[in-house]
Amino acid sequence: MRAVAVGLGGLVLFAAFSAPLVLAPYPLTLLSLVCIAAILAGSVNLLMGQVGLLSMGHAGISAAAGYGVAWAAVRDMDPLIQLAVALGVTLVVSLVFGLMTMRTNGIVFLMITLALGMTVNGLAQKLSSLTGGQNGLTGVRRPPIVADQGAFYLLALVMLLVALAVTYGLTRSSFGLTLRGVRESEGRMSSLGYPVARAKLLAVICSGLMAGTAGVLAAWQSEFMSPAAAGFSRSAFAVVMVIVGGTGTLLGPVVGAGVVVGIEHWLSSYVERWPTLLGVVLIVVVLFARGGVVGAVQDLIRRWRPGDRGGAAPPGVPALATDGEAVVMTGPGAQAPAGAGKEDL
Amino acid sequence: MGHRSRGGRSARPVGSAALAVALAAVVGAGAAVAQDQSGGTVKVGFIAPVTGFVAALGQDMRNGWDLYWTQNGTTAGGVTVETIYEDDAGDPEVALTKARKLVEEDGVQMTAGPILANTAYAVADYVAGQGLPSFHITGADDLTQRRANPLVLRVGYTSSQSNFPAGQWAYDQGHRTAVTLCPDYAFGWESCGGFVSAFTNAGGTVTQLWHPLGNQDFASYMTDIQAAGPDVVFVGSAGGPDAILLYQTYAGFGLKDTTPLIGNCCFADQVFLREIGDIGAGIESFGYWVESRDSDEVTAFVSAYEAAYGDTPSLYAAGSYMMAQVIAEALEATGGVVDGEAFVSAARGVSLADSLYGPLAFDDLNNPVGPVYRTRVEPREDGRLVHVLQETFPDVSQFWTYGQDAFLANPVFSRDFTGVAP
Repeated sequence: MRAVAVGLGGLVLFAAFSAPLVLAPYPLTLLSLVCIAAILAGSVNLLMGQVGLLSMGHAGISAAAGYGVAWAAVRDMDPLIQLAVALGVTLVVSLVFGLMTMRTNGIVFLMITLALGMTVNGLAQKLSSLTGGQNGLTGVRRPPIVADQGAFYLLALVMLLVALAVTYGLTRSSFGLTLRGVRESEGRMSSLGYPVARAKLLAVICSGLMAGTAGVLAAWQSEFMSPAAAGFSRSAFAVVMVIVGGTGTLLGPVVGAGVVVGIEHWLSSYVERWPTLLGVVLIVVVLFARGGVVGAVQDLIRRWRPGDRGGAAPPGVPALATDGEAVVMTGPGAQAPAGAGKEDL
Repeated sequence: MGHRSRGGRSARPVGSAALAVALAAVVGAGAAVAQDQSGGTVKVGFIAPVTGFVAALGQDMRNGWDLYWTQNGTTAGGVTVETIYEDDAGDPEVALTKARKLVEEDGVQMTAGPILANTAYAVADYVAGQGLPSFHITGADDLTQRRANPLVLRVGYTSSQSNFPAGQWAYDQGHRTAVTLCPDYAFGWESCGGFVSAFTNAGGTVTQLWHPLGNQDFASYMTDIQAAGPDVVFVGSAGGPDAILLYQTYAGFGLKDTTPLIGNCCFADQVFLREIGDIGAGIESFGYWVESRDSDEVTAFVSAYEAAYGDTPSLYAAGSYMMAQVIAEALEATGGVVDGEAFVSAARGVSLADSLYGPLAFDDLNNPVGPVYRTRVEPREDGRLVHVLQETFPDVSQFWTYGQDAFLANPVFSRDFTGVAP
């Protein structure tokens, strides 16, 4: 099984990296958008899956980073300076997000992040001398080295892989365990002496840096920035990607990004009622596949895998409610949470 | 799932497989659209938001665009015009992807639309970067001012253009103090900028109020207006629920009977008139689309539009019809050849003795110079509220009376800058 996994993964990577050789710029544009959306969704997933915090304002962080790059780019600054500006802006905004939410959870966290996201959106509209207001900033140009769509796609792909690797490493670290502990029982963690608020702050900043990466790439991809990038719908779409793909899974956000970007940017050319279709997909996933596409496929594989130790009965498929408040075990063989995160995200 | 302990080994291959499927879906889809560059056909990419929060405007745009080609045939200058429709959902990122699709996959030779300022800037920037013409009806001032491009032509007025005459007229009526109330974003700043500049240049004084987009309660603004006690109130709105709520509150406070109100192009638009009821009668506006104007062009368009779609055509329907007309005229002029800047020059050279907007020509920065109309809302014979022409201000330029260079020396209108010095 492991050999098959490695083989399949290698094949996908090979296909992904050789895409610029065979595809026209427009499909590469779509793939770049998928990579960028996947990084943003991954940053939301980091908080949602690990800490059980649902952010409705992450587009605000990525848009802030995008504005950092765009602001510097229209002033013809060096790409490194653009990145430095974006990094600074991202850190400041993430810090604000983190400091204002580190003592909250659940619906309060959601509302504060929603408000902060809308604040970024509002500032982008009002500070027109910096942001161009509602009209946005035109004339942003990618750094020459990634001006070509193929080269830019490779950059987005590499950044996605880096983001996945960092996420994977983070969840396997003791810090990741701490975060999951906070998710399962915040009260117990703090009575055990863990600095819960500090862990959450750090998690928000890590997640914010990922969102910022997506923001930088998005600004370079579209070569344009406007307040719509910080709009509520962008934040909501990121959450939809996570839910559709599979909350708490490593590859869920990638799959979710593929589905949502595919519907919004590609299928919408052929199906006028694409928002309805997206809604139906979300409803189906929520009703029939709480673990998202990735979770559902995992279940299927487990059910059909020959010679599984579970015998006739399918092995346990513990399903975690997406808000992290309840753990529901189904079927025999459900594992104790003790080994949490050792193998999976 | 984060706490799941075993079973994770299978997660990776499964996840990879799903990624592969998603990848294949996207890739296959993109590659499936074939390039087609058949002779004798000009492909136009038409981008309008037919989903999302401005879907109504986008649908009007499509209707107006379709009506032109239905009425006049799709042949112009010896070539057949083929339209490829795309929906931008009112989002610049989607608009850009669609523009890329139209140019790179469908091989369109020009684009028309979209409507929202930020989507239009994004599309214009990209399409011009590809050396192709793009046609617009968005109001965003800078599209034909500080960010003008020889490949970009606007077949509509700037947000401020029709409000300069409003400011001058208000002063000429003897009004000396005014309160302006506009939504607090670029369109509102530019709309109020036109009025404020002309009114203060003439010698009037203004109190400027700004309301957030999507405002739910206008009562506090009405008390501010009552406290200021101005001679006249100017509202520069993009229409929609804001405008309806604003005017209902205005009437509810009794201000309707004490203080005259002037609207911009879009405050009391056709959608507003459908919803507002009797209190709408008597509103005065300054705009460039008057659906009851006595002109063969307008009458034919309105009756055909009402027959086809059942509604009075809005500014956006009329604008898209005009876009199609200018493109058709330009194709006639070039004999069907679409060659970047040369084609836009031909379009700029189009001069119409009468059109839906009236007599029309274009200035050096590709923006119309044409009449601005003062209108009053009155019931038509069938009881439907329409704008009725009161006065025409001919040949209004986007630079008003300042001249291009003097006007462009100023920054674009913003909340902090609404008054161009005389």
